[in-house]
Order: sequence, then C-alpha cells, then structure tokens
Amino acid sequence: MDRQKLQRIGVTAASSVAAVLFALVICGIILLLTGRSPSHVYQTMWDAAGERRIQYDAIQRATPLMFAGCAVALGFKMNLFNIGVEGQYRIAALVTAIVGTRIGFLPAPLHVAVELAVACICGAAWAGIAAFMKVRRGVNEVIATIMLNAIAISLAAWLFNTYFRYTQGNSQNVTTRPIPRSGWMPDIVKDQLNGFFIVALLVVFAYWIVVFKSRFGFRLRASGHNDVAAKTSGISSKRMIVTALLLSGAVAGFIGMQQTLGDSHAYSSQGFVDGIGFLGIAVALLGRNHPIGIVLSALLFGLLAASATKLGLIKVPQEIVQIIEGVIVLSVVIVNEASGRWVDKRTQQRAAHAVEHHLTQQGVTA
Amino acid sequence: MTTAEPNTEQPYAVELEGIEKRFPGVIANHDVSLKVRKGTIHAIVGENGAGKSTLMNTLYGMHQPEAGTIHVNGQQVHFKSPAEAIAVGIGMVHQHFMLADNLTVLENVILGAEPARRGVIRHAEGTAKVAALAKQIGAHVDLDAPLSALGVGQRQRVEILKVLYRGANILILDEPTAVLVPQEVDELFETLKVLVAGGATVIFISHKLDEVLAVSDEITVIRQGTTVGTVTPDSITRSRLGEMMVGSELPKPIPRVTKIGAAVRLEVNGASAKVVGPGSQKYVFQDIDIDVHEGEIVGVAGVEGNGQFELCEGILGLMPLTAGTIVLDGNDVTHETVRHRKDAGIGYIPFDRHREALMLSSPLWENTMLGRESQPKFNIGPLINVRGSQADCREIIHDFDVRTPGEDVPAFALSGGNQQKLIVGRELVNNPSVLIAAHPTRGVDIGAQNAIWARLRTARDAGMGVLLLSADLEELIALSDVIVVMFDGMITARLTPAQATPELLGLYMTGTRQEAAA
Amino acid sequence: MRYSKRLRVASLAVVLGLAAAACGSSAKTTSTTATTKGGTATTAATAGSAAGATTAGSTAGGTSSGGTTFGGKLPDCFGNPTGTVTKGSKAGIAYDTGGRGDGTFNDSAARGADAAKTGLGVTIDELEAKTGDDRNPNLTTLSGNGDNPIIAVGFLFETDLLKIAAANPKTMYGIVDDVPPGANANIFSLVFAANEGSFLVGAAAALKSKSGHIGFIGGQDIDLIHNFEAGYDAGAKAVNSKIIIESKYLGAAGDNAAWTSPDKAKEIATGWYTSGADVIYSAAGGSGNGTIDAAVAAGDGKWAIGVDSDQYLTATPAQQKHILTSMVKHVDVATYDTIRAVGQGATKGAVCTFSLANDGVGYATSGGYVDDIKAKLDGYKADIISGKIVVPAK
Repeated sequence: MDRQKLQRIGVTAASSVAAVLFALVICGIILLLTGRSPSHVYQTMWDAAGERRIQYDAIQRATPLMFAGCAVALGFKMNLFNIGVEGQYRIAALVTAIVGTRIGFLPAPLHVAVELAVACICGAAWAGIAAFMKVRRGVNEVIATIMLNAIAISLAAWLFNTYFRYTQGNSQNVTTRPIPRSGWMPDIVKDQLNGFFIVALLVVFAYWIVVFKSRFGFRLRASGHNDVAAKTSGISSKRMIVTALLLSGAVAGFIGMQQTLGDSHAYSSQGFVDGIGFLGIAVALLGRNHPIGIVLSALLFGLLAASATKLGLIKVPQEIVQIIEGVIVLSVVIVNEASGRWVDKRTQQRAAHAVEHHLTQQGVTA
Repeated sequence: MTTAEPNTEQPYAVELEGIEKRFPGVIANHDVSLKVRKGTIHAIVGENGAGKSTLMNTLYGMHQPEAGTIHVNGQQVHFKSPAEAIAVGIGMVHQHFMLADNLTVLENVILGAEPARRGVIRHAEGTAKVAALAKQIGAHVDLDAPLSALGVGQRQRVEILKVLYRGANILILDEPTAVLVPQEVDELFETLKVLVAGGATVIFISHKLDEVLAVSDEITVIRQGTTVGTVTPDSITRSRLGEMMVGSELPKPIPRVTKIGAAVRLEVNGASAKVVGPGSQKYVFQDIDIDVHEGEIVGVAGVEGNGQFELCEGILGLMPLTAGTIVLDGNDVTHETVRHRKDAGIGYIPFDRHREALMLSSPLWENTMLGRESQPKFNIGPLINVRGSQADCREIIHDFDVRTPGEDVPAFALSGGNQQKLIVGRELVNNPSVLIAAHPTRGVDIGAQNAIWARLRTARDAGMGVLLLSADLEELIALSDVIVVMFDGMITARLTPAQATPELLGLYMTGTRQEAAA
Repeated sequence: MRYSKRLRVASLAVVLGLAAAACGSSAKTTSTTATTKGGTATTAATAGSAAGATTAGSTAGGTSSGGTTFGGKLPDCFGNPTGTVTKGSKAGIAYDTGGRGDGTFNDSAARGADAAKTGLGVTIDELEAKTGDDRNPNLTTLSGNGDNPIIAVGFLFETDLLKIAAANPKTMYGIVDDVPPGANANIFSLVFAANEGSFLVGAAAALKSKSGHIGFIGGQDIDLIHNFEAGYDAGAKAVNSKIIIESKYLGAAGDNAAWTSPDKAKEIATGWYTSGADVIYSAAGGSGNGTIDAAVAAGDGKWAIGVDSDQYLTATPAQQKHILTSMVKHVDVATYDTIRAVGQGATKGAVCTFSLANDGVGYATSGGYVDDIKAKLDGYKADIISGKIVVPAK
C-alpha cells in the first residue's frame, strides 16, 4: 500500500509541477508574440528570486495566502465554496484595528493574542451569517457569501468613514487610530519579514490536525464527500455546514492581520489589500486542499508576485504574472482531473488484480 | 453444452464472436459468442454480475471490446459510440429509464431527433409518426400526457417507442421486467411479440427463468463472463436452465429452526409523513404499523417509489413523522436524532450503496468507521485512532469475505458485491437490535448473495430483528417470516411466505387488490 | 470520481475570480478621490515667482505635451538648485494601482515622466502596483536600482514611503497629493491648490452664464471638496456678486459611491439646467460625466466644467460641444519638476504646493470656448499670483 501512496503523491506533485511548467510555456508564447524575450523575462525573475529581499517579500506575500488557502480548503472539505473570505477578512481587520487601539493597557503578548481572537471571532461571525442562511433558509453559500462580500466592503467603508477616521497633520492617508506598539506583531527581519509567517505555519498545521486527523475532521470530510451517506450514518450535515463555515471564517480573519498588526498598524479603507480571498481559492485548488500543498502553492504565488516587481525595470508589464497565475490554476484543474482519473483507474485495476491473484491462489477461477 | 437446433431459415441479425471485454474490478466478458436470428426474441440469461449488461453495452457501442468481432445483418461493424449503433438500427432500452419527467410523452419520444424545419419542431409530423408506432405495437398512451403522470409499465412503453422512433429494428432490453409487476410483465411480452411479428429482433436480458422460458425463441446463458450455451425453451427444463446459469444446483430455501422471540425490537405505530411541495402536500407514507420481533424477518414488498424508501428514512430519523411513533426496544425514539437511533441499535443497509452508504474515494477503513466513529476503539482523545480503525476494518474484511487487496484501497476500487459485503459487515458488526436491510443483495453475484443471506439468517437466529425491503420477490419469500405489501404509501396486505405467490404479491403491489391491513 | 462537480465549478469560478480580482484592483484605482483631494491649505503661493509663469515655455529647455507646458520656473520649495541634469541619470516612478492608462493621476504623472525623458534626457524606471502589496517592494526595488528621485504617485504610498525613505536617506522621494507626518528630509510633498484653479473656472462660469445662475456638484461632502467649491464660488462672485450658485454633494463623508455615480449627477444637473442654470462645475470624480451628459441633453448654451485633467480631450464629439473648460491639476508638472529639481541638485525635502503661480493648477482652453474671456481670466490669475486676490480654501 505504501507504494501506492507514494505513487499517488508522486503523481500529484508531478502533475502540479507540469501545470506550472505548462503555464510558463504558455506565457513564454505570449511574451514572444508581444515581441519580448521569454528567456530574458524568466531570467530576470529567476535572478530576482535569488535575492534575499525578494525571498522575504515572497514569504510576506505567501503568509496571507496560506491563511486564505486554509480558509477556502476548510470549506472545500465540506463541499462548501466560501467565496466570502474576502469580506470576512475585511470585517475582521477593521474590527481588530479598532479593538487593538482600545486595549493598549494589556502587555504585548496578551494584547496581540486578544487581537487575534477578535479577528477570528469577527471572521467567523461574518461567515456565520452565510452559514445561518444556508442552514435555515437553504440559501446557497456561494450567493450568500458573494452578497456578504459586497456588504462587508460597504459596511466597513461606512463604519470607517463615519466613526474611525484619523489623520496626522496634512497627510491624506486616512486610517484608524494607530495601534500602540504592544499590539504589533513583531518582525522577524526588520521591515522585511513579519512574525505572522510563523502564525501561518501554525495555522496550517492546525488545519492538518483538525481536518485530517481528528474525529471532527473525519465527520467533516465524510459530510463533504457524501452528505447523504454521512446523514444516514448519523452525522448532522447542518451542524457540519455551520462548523465548517465558522472555522473557515475564523481562519479568514487572520488574512488581514499581517498588514494590520505587522505593517501599517492601522486599518484604512483605501490602503487595504484586497483580493486575497480569491487568490486563496487558487491556492487551495493548486494545493489540492492539502496542508503541504497549500504552503507550497502560497509560496509559489508569493515568489511569482515578488520576483515580478523587477519586471517593470525591463519594461515588461507585471500583468504577465497574473496571466501565469491564471494559466497555472486552469492547467492544474485540467491536469489534476486527468491524472486523478489515471490514478483512480490504476487503483481499480490493482485492486481487481490483487483479488484475482488472491482467488487463483485459492484455486478459484476468476 | 446444449446447442439449439437451427429453428428457422432466418439469417442472423446479430453475431458476436470471441468477444472479450476487460474492466478493472468487474467480471469481464471473455470468449463470448452469440448469434441472434432475425425476427426472434432472444433471451440472455445469467446471474447478477455474470456480464450480461457488459455484453449488451458492447453491442450498443457504449464501449469497445478488446477482442472479437461483431456482425450486424451480416456486415462487420466497429461501433465507437451508441450513435453508430443506432445508425444501423440497434436500440437499447435501459434498466433505468432515460426519460425527462417534465416533458410530455411525445416530447420524450422525439427528444434529440425532433422533426424540424429550420429549427422549428413540427409537432404534427411527430405526433402522427409516434401515434402510428404506438398503434403498431398496441401501446395505449396519451402522447400529450406529462411523463410524470405515467406508471412504470407505461414509461417502459415510452422508452420502447423512443427506440423505435429512431428506426431501431434490433431492440436490446436490459432487465425490462425488473421494475415491473407480473401483470405488467405480461403486457410487455405481448408488445414484444407484436414487434417480432413485424420483423423486429428483440434481445432481452433477464435472470428470471420462468419469464425467459415463457417468451423466448432462443436462450443464451452467460456465466462468469462467458457464454455457456444457447438453447430453445422447449428443449430444456427450468431446473436444468438454472443449473446452466449458476453452474450447480439452485440453492434450496433453508427452513428456519429457531423461534421468533416475544420481545418487540422495533415498533412502527401509525407512522405517517408528508412532503410539502409547492401548493400541495402529499403523504409519502401513511398509517404504517409494523412490529419486528426478536429473531424475526419482516419483508416489505412493493414497487419502488411506493413509500418504502421514505419509511426507512422515517424509522431512521432522516425524515420527520407527521404522526405516529417509532419505538426501539421499548424506548420511544420518535424525536431522537439519527445518531441516537443508530447508537441505540438500528443498523441500516441502504437502498443505494453509492449514494447513501459509501465515501467512494476514501479508504475502506474510513468507510467501515463511518457512523461508528464515536465508539472508543476508533479514537485517541479527539483524534482518530488510525491503527485501531484499520484493524477493525481488517476484521470486517475477513469476517465478511470482502475481496480486496487491503483496507487502504479506496472504496470505488471494489466491485459492487464486495462493496455491499463491506456495508453489511459494517452494519452487522455492531450487533444492532434491528437491521433495516434495503435490497441487501441488489447487483451482487450469486456467491455474495448466498453469503449475505447466510449472514442475515445467522444474525436473526441470534435475536436480531430485520426489516427487509426488496424488489426481488424470491428473496422476500425465501427470507421473510411475514411479508407486508406497500402500495401508494400504505400497507395493503400482510401475508405469510406460504401464502405469497409472485402473482398475488403483484396484485397487491399494483393496487389491483387491497385488503384491510390486518 | 474524485473531483466533485462542485469542485469543477469552483475551479471555473476561481479563474473568473482571479480575473475579477485583477479587474477589481484596477477598477477601484481611486475614483479620482485622490486627485480631487488636491491642495489642502496654503492658498497664496510663493508671491515672488509671479512673472514668467503665465507665459509658459519661455524658460530654456521647456517642452510641451498634451496641452501642458513643462520646464517653467521651479517652485521655491525645491530650494532653487542650480546644477544641471545629468543625461541618462535615473528617475523612478511608482504608480499606484491602475498605472499608466488609468485616465487620472497615474496617467498625468506618466505624462510628466515622458516629458522628463524627452526634455531632460533622463532614464525613467516605472513600476506599477498591481495590489497594495506591491507598493513597498516597488519603492524598494527602485531605491535599490539607484533611481533618484523616486516619485510615489498617490497618498496610499505614505506608510511604505516613510519606512523606505528613512532607510535610504541619500535618495530623494516625491509623493503626490500627500503631506506625510513628521519632518522628512528627503521627501517632497507634491500638493495642489485646487481652490485657485477652481476660482478661475468659477470666473469663467460667471462670465459665460447668460442667466446668472450656475451650479456646483461635489462628490463626498468633505473639506477636500469644499476647497474646490470655495474657490469656484469666490471666482464666480468676483465676476458677478449677485450670481445664483446651486450646490449639492452626491454623498456624505465616506460614501465612496459618490465618486462613481454619474446617474445621480446627471439627475441633479438636469434639474438645474431645466430651472435656468447654464454652467455646472463638478468636482466628483467619475460622476462628473453625468453632468456633461446632462448638458448635452439640455442642448445649446448649457455648459459643464471638467475637473482634474482636460476632459475635453477624452470626451466624445457631442460632449465636447458642452465642455466649457476644465480645472486642471498638473500632476505631470509636479512630476517633471521634481525630477528636474533633484537632477539639478535639490537635496532638502519640503512641501511643494502647486498653484497658479507655478502652473501647477490652471484652466483648460481646448475647444476655444473661453478664448473670448481669456484675457479676463488671465487677469484674475495674475491677481491671485500677485496676492491681490486671496482665494478662500473652505
């Protein structure tokens, strides 16, 4: 069996790498067609990826993606499509930034811990609305979360503009009040690599334990896999829907924390980095909802984006990276589908073979 | 083996020679030869899983054989898709109808082959053509009725019309009688005879010997993937044919030696449930009273869709009752959760193993743990005890003779019979006080069927109560201590196996006859 | 078997999502909020520099592009450096999301960069933020690349710029539309006196109005836009003290839809045109297009006034007949001047207010509809520059 497991892992890894290579080839063709040298572009990115600063930047960018990937994957495991990560982390970031300024009396570690708890609760609460709507009213979570994204953006903008605006001097950079230093997440490398990277790894680890190793995770996966069978076996799918979405939202709450607690130390409507929720879907897909896969694909996306910042210097539009990312996701879906089928078929053949073999040994004709 | 005398001078409509089809995990066809004469009814018989459907799918172009040749009307053919088979006049009526409920009969028949000019469907032309076909085969169907208003027998007629409409003169019917009650079977056979008289050729798959002997011109027997011979009905006895099919004597019903206990394992008292649709509500079952005693098997007969499935859901707690109670070992569980009821001693072998029982891409040990994962042996604190769970699974694999290379393979890799044995094992290993067994042997091979029956008997003898729901009347009669018939959500008869003949059951199952539920 | 249909749908959605995210980031670009939020306080600018400013292009090395003239006298804030720009020296531009082609301030900065390239012979390195995550790395990359100066286009760069400027004390930086807090020795704050430009278009409105009835439509009801309105009112009243000026804001503070609601603006403008108003000025980002459309619908003699850039240049022919003028904010000039000043040796950061005096703001003449009153407008302009007229800021 071990051999088979290894083979599965091998095929998965190979297919993901193939997808990435395929994406690079496609983008190379696009570059050629637009009269640019792909080798020059990739060389520039490759050289950039060798720089320490770019590597830190890649990790910095990967950190929120790991949270987002886990949040989305938690949903996927329950066969739920949480598109609402986007709104969940925005609400969480705003509320955390506000709460963070009000609890400055706490000592540093506790201050940060409370902030993180607030972020989780807010993310979970916002996701909980979609969960409630699905369980009580049968509203599809995709629709509910898309709507909630729009509402979250408007609600956060309104709250921020109406109650929490703060500016220094003649600055146009309107933010919430700055969080006192005790509420900051310390940097690992000053101004280059924040401590949230460690938090992200811990969260991915927790995701692995909870989803893949715990009884709760088993029920979650069972419900996601075949909810009729799970229900028939006594697992309440409503409860699983609610729990999965709450957990997903709670993890989503972390996404904006690196920016809020590690970098700008405040929330601002216009400076807020959005779109990570959508990228998280890509990360979860590319990583096949597996913890290691999520970490690796987040790092890959981070590295692509980080090394792309150099492309402007050689007059290549950075959009090429977005094309690479898009093609990677598309080809991963296609390649995974194909390789998955192949592995399934192999497994089935092997099982049949083993049974036949077993029967012949017993002297029974198959 | 016995060979049929060439009984007519008719040429062959279909000739299959040396067909081989390999499938992972499923009994494949090998060395199959089949010759069907034009204008005859040719039966293909064999046990479930013998490879009949695989063979017919090959002929219909659903997949390509690894070896062998196919001739249709003397011409060699290589079908790459059903469309190519249809083009040479082969039509197939599937066991599961491929019809759209929300369309009318006419629309269903012409769907995909609409007479149209410049994209506009010409209804009049379609109506005329379909009506003529219907008249020709003696089918009385209202072409404008919505399909949803039709019964099973009529739906099958619509399927046949659909195939004929596409110009088929060689019809393949895959287990057409499996879903029909005896009276409908007779009507179907009349239709088939009319068709053959009109020059068509019918290939008809079955594992019911009486039917086959009654209607066929020739019979080809398939066993374990290969053809074992072709016979004519008048040259063979029923028991000899059965022997050809199973390779040995038919299993004899084993009379029970143990007694039914006095304790009531499961009481269903006046249970009713409704589904609320847009603007209407309809009882899915009503006033159901069933007692299952210690060591008793209560059979439930009925045409599918008459409330049996919902009744199981009601007993299990998946569907709320609008009236009545469910009592398990003396405890009212009417308002308890599914989990509570299962823990309190209800086992359930569901109707559809893929839909209701298995996680197909998960390993077997996760599948055997499903529904039992709160038991201590599967846990270490809040985490899953993987080794313990795997050991438990290995026990089930061993005890229930599940043919698999190991407990780590995903469930989809197993054949249907082995999947079913795994489920039976999972549900029985808990020693439930009552087992709800829905079609426990559907789609499994004869060996597995015997094994599952033996298991059920053993558990019964140990005091378990069984509620057995089955479409296989032989199974019901062989196993049950008492048989109730459900029709339109209600119990229409209670019979002892001795009283119950397939014909009588058929009358009750179609609602032709009703008796006050005793 | 292993991949549910849902997951397949999911994957499709992701691709769409990525696309949406990409579009989202460029669409949100800044609904001209940043651009319109021009100069904050300082009204009377550097009185001394009065002279040559109006007759732009007179200075040696001056270039002209898109109706803007570059190479006028440098604002005093740059410390009047006297060196010469080294050909081939490198200057960096860090655009905000949207980048070149966004139709607003990024584009304007790009024009200034292009002019510096042709006019000063410098090499321009440009990086565009695709997401907010890119701002810091882009500034860092440019800093590491030896670019000097580096201009951050938009106040959203503030937080990152403060960190990076502190880490690279020898590099000079510019930031558009913002005055970062604290004393920043190597940052030029490039801000605009929108009230002065608005004064001139207000005067133009009053001069052109036949009914003595004009209007102002603001985006969000905030100080930054009050700055535009105050200038406009003062300009109109300087011409005709009895003029009727309608005023309306499209949204309360924080209502970001105010910048992107041309339908609302159109409704309001149509009402005013119907009741006799004949010139309406909008300082409401993209919503201003609604005012132009309303003027088109209201027919001959009804005018709209554009904002930020010369909107005549990007309008349809039908709209062009109704765009009297535009209040132009020269981010391009600010960009060009910063590159030039640093190239000439400017080394001390300061707040640079771009006003009428240094051609940092002005009015557009495209279409020729204000040619007949140009003399009068230029008179007001000279008076403002000389300090004779003090334009209120609020």
